[in-house]
Amino acid sequence: MRSSLRPARRAAAVLLRPTRTLNNSFLQQSRPYSSSSSVNPTEICHFSALASSWWEPHGPSRPLHLMNPLRHDFIRLCYNSPTPPSTFLDVGCGGGIFAESAARLPTTTKTTAIDPSTTILSIARQHAKKDPSLFNKLNYINSSIETLQHPKVDVVSCFEVVEHVDYPSEFLDKLGEFVRPGGWLVMSTIARTWTSWFTTNLVAEDILGMVPKGTHDWNKYINEHELRAYFEKRPEKWGEIKVMGVVFVPGCGWKEVKGSEKIGNYFLGVQRIA
Amino acid sequence: MEALLRNRAFFVCRSCTQQLQRRYMRAGPRQDVYDVVCVGGGPAGLSLLTALRANPVTSHLRVALVEAQDLSKIKLWKLPPDRFSNRCSSLTPSSALYLDRIGAWRHMVRERIQEYQEMQVWDGVTGARIEFDWAGAQPTTGTTIAYMTENLNLTSGLLKRLEELGGVSTFDNTRVENISYGEQTEEVDLREWPVVHISGGKQLAARLLVGADGANSPVRSFAGIEARGWDYNRHGVVATLELDGEGWGGEHTKIAYQRFLPTGPVAMLPMPGKYSTLVWSTTPRNAALLKKLSPGNFVAMVNAAFRLPIPDLEFMHTQGSGQEDEYTWRMKHTPVDHRAVPQVVTAVQEGTVASFPLKFRHADTYIAERVALIGDAAHTVHPLAGQGLNQGQGDVQSLAKTIEYAVTHGQDTGVGMSLESYNSERYTANHVLMGVCDKLHKLYSVGSGPLVPLRSFGLSAFNALRPLKSFIMGQAAGNGIKVF
Repeated sequence: MRSSLRPARRAAAVLLRPTRTLNNSFLQQSRPYSSSSSVNPTEICHFSALASSWWEPHGPSRPLHLMNPLRHDFIRLCYNSPTPPSTFLDVGCGGGIFAESAARLPTTTKTTAIDPSTTILSIARQHAKKDPSLFNKLNYINSSIETLQHPKVDVVSCFEVVEHVDYPSEFLDKLGEFVRPGGWLVMSTIARTWTSWFTTNLVAEDILGMVPKGTHDWNKYINEHELRAYFEKRPEKWGEIKVMGVVFVPGCGWKEVKGSEKIGNYFLGVQRIA
Repeated sequence: MEALLRNRAFFVCRSCTQQLQRRYMRAGPRQDVYDVVCVGGGPAGLSLLTALRANPVTSHLRVALVEAQDLSKIKLWKLPPDRFSNRCSSLTPSSALYLDRIGAWRHMVRERIQEYQEMQVWDGVTGARIEFDWAGAQPTTGTTIAYMTENLNLTSGLLKRLEELGGVSTFDNTRVENISYGEQTEEVDLREWPVVHISGGKQLAARLLVGADGANSPVRSFAGIEARGWDYNRHGVVATLELDGEGWGGEHTKIAYQRFLPTGPVAMLPMPGKYSTLVWSTTPRNAALLKKLSPGNFVAMVNAAFRLPIPDLEFMHTQGSGQEDEYTWRMKHTPVDHRAVPQVVTAVQEGTVASFPLKFRHADTYIAERVALIGDAAHTVHPLAGQGLNQGQGDVQSLAKTIEYAVTHGQDTGVGMSLESYNSERYTANHVLMGVCDKLHKLYSVGSGPLVPLRSFGLSAFNALRPLKSFIMGQAAGNGIKVF
């Protein structure tokens, strides 16, 4: 799952990429060679293999399904306006859990969702056909953010994705281009702490097997203060920042826990001012 | 830009949007697409539709109602003030509050609704008694235990409210001929959507199909959900009774009475003025006899049921007729504390004596993919605690809340994932309540043997425990501490 909750493939992946450590902020990282995509091929393979089970309510993506309502709660918290957002761009949409739900909201006029994996997108498209109300509101594009041509939207969402991206800083630059002034960039990811290694890698993937092995690469996790620092260094573009820490309680689902953004899964939203 | 042009329907002109929208509404020939199709226009189904229409969050949903009866007749239902329908229910204050919140309460004829503040419950074999009154207890929401309401007053009020709200595609006088699954076309895949085929040839595709279609629910059968349980081998005999006066407590303190007989409980519940409604659970043989009796003999049997010792009553059930004289003679030799029993019944309203079999049924689950069951389709309970309709109202509140949550969070309201909370919230709550009612019935259906002194001791001891009693009363009124 592209989300929250093991370290098998990590060893190999680490050898292939410049390694980050806890003291090494992702912001200082730059691409060792020039290429046009934020997409990591290993990650795509991993998620493509999961495609068929994406929509099984009791399958490996269940924690993601359970988290989805909280994403809407968080967007509402960020937006905090009588006029709710009407256009969405969901980056790294996977099987379309969030994209479908955003398009389904009565106040949404248009949702575009992109993902680099064609296998996953075909699952997403197939699934969207099961709800005729999505027919003219949801559009899937097989694209990376770098090659996307799209008008600016009210909300750019990027859930459980930045921890799967090789060069987060450049990735965030690109995401920002699609947010209209006054709109929000809303993300969720996992903080890089011993707790998150224990819960998301060891417990969730290795011990409980709740999440497929190799879903998470702990080295790619991004701490809340690192993400925050990225936006704070660009005050001409970005304004208010909101965060919400969430904890997965087996049997209960996701719960908001104040301060937990420093420990594990968290949402971060930032408003584009210009 | 190329990506944009390749992807159909990204920028669409207004007329194209409308065209696409129409295509959504009509998934195929003669097939209309709805967000909610409710089968059954009884109290549960109508309450759900009213709740959805009254809530601005869910009022945009396309909803349809399919009902076999003529709803316009029910909506215009009217009886003279001294006549009452024999099918009444006891609404707890929390059910009444909900009906008020969805705007239906004010459409009900208030003068025909009777609240009661006290309950007298006793054991017919031993005479042990529980007095449910508020003395010493501190009710949080007034002293009303429940509101006695004719079912038709409720359904008629709901229909008037729905008419005021509008927006429900109503198919009444209409039978469900078949329920199948939808089809797949190039644009949409409705293979998981239930399609209701109704008389007249129309087909209604449902994002969520709600079974509010009673104990023999066709929707439940379609979903392959088993309802398990047993028959009590008892019938509920109902009738509208006229009493000597307005009751021992007068106009403002009305009392409900229930006596546990070995054959089952007999209950008399106050209606406005000097009227009361009878619910007498008894053997099918006794029920058949009661229905055959002349009004005078029937009245004598009802009076006897609240006063005479069990052997006397048993004897009177063996008489083909003549209960009136038998009762008068036996009462001369039976000391009765008149204030401990309901006032004397003087008449039974013509055509109101009827009976129905009592069952215990509980569906294995209330949900399936794109299906939810509410009310009697999900559970049928022994009427001794008057909880049947309130359970249905509890289902409605929970399902309406679940749908509202799904809408505000972009969930597909029909999928199991969205409906899970409805099932988990209601199943256990109903299961516990149904178990209690069932055990009470069994405990009191024993005429002799070791259970009798035990239960008698139980009832008296129970009566002495005020805190426990107020807790039980709070539960009856739906304002007590929530167990779940």
